[in-house]
Amino acid sequence: MSSPSSELVERSVRLPDGVALHARPAGALVRAAAAFAADVHVSANGRRANAKSILDVLALGAEGGAELRIDASGEDAVAAAEHLVLLVPELV
Amino acid sequence: MSEENGHVGLILVSHSAKLAEGLADLLSQVAGPAVRIVTTAGAVDGSLGTNGGAVLEAMQRAAADGGAVVLVDLGSSILAVRAALAELSDEELAHVAVADAPLVEGAVSAAVAASTGCTLEEAVRAAEEARVVTKL
Repeated sequence: MSSPSSELVERSVRLPDGVALHARPAGALVRAAAAFAADVHVSANGRRANAKSILDVLALGAEGGAELRIDASGEDAVAAAEHLVLLVPELV
Repeated sequence: MSEENGHVGLILVSHSAKLAEGLADLLSQVAGPAVRIVTTAGAVDGSLGTNGGAVLEAMQRAAADGGAVVLVDLGSSILAVRAALAELSDEELAHVAVADAPLVEGAVSAAVAASTGCTLEEAVRAAEEARVVTKL
């Protein structure tokens, strides 16, 4: 239990108003997630998507201003989750 | 090696130049500018159709420049791709692979994967994931 890699790291972050998780922002999110070894998921609208799969992320249908839940597990899970928390508000 | 020139590229083979160019625009939005997208679309005279010579040339060029995953729309595009594959050397065949995937979703998935610096095999796998990811 003390090992960070065994824990699910969870964070919440809001999409900017007017920026839905459509093609360009979704691509930016997936490319960022893919840079980490951790398993990373993003949830919205009651769905949970593999953050490294563009088709999965697009299928979330997250609208601008929506609350996203990020969860990550694995060796760099904390870094991955925190990187996405910083990235999402900057999506355009 | 595919790493030499950066990312694995995509070759879009379609009956329609408009379709392929529109898809290429979408891909550059989703995947960023680093992924090479080549379109071989329409017949020699610009009408709807396929151009086997252009498909072969695109594959040979890609094989020498980082490799590429090939996505096709349907029908004679697939025949053109098969004919071109038969002309490639073993060395070229190591750098060009056809994805059995829907064109739009497969290309989007492969392009984003390619933008992360993945291998040719991983880009093909990403494209083929499009067969099972639901839209709704």
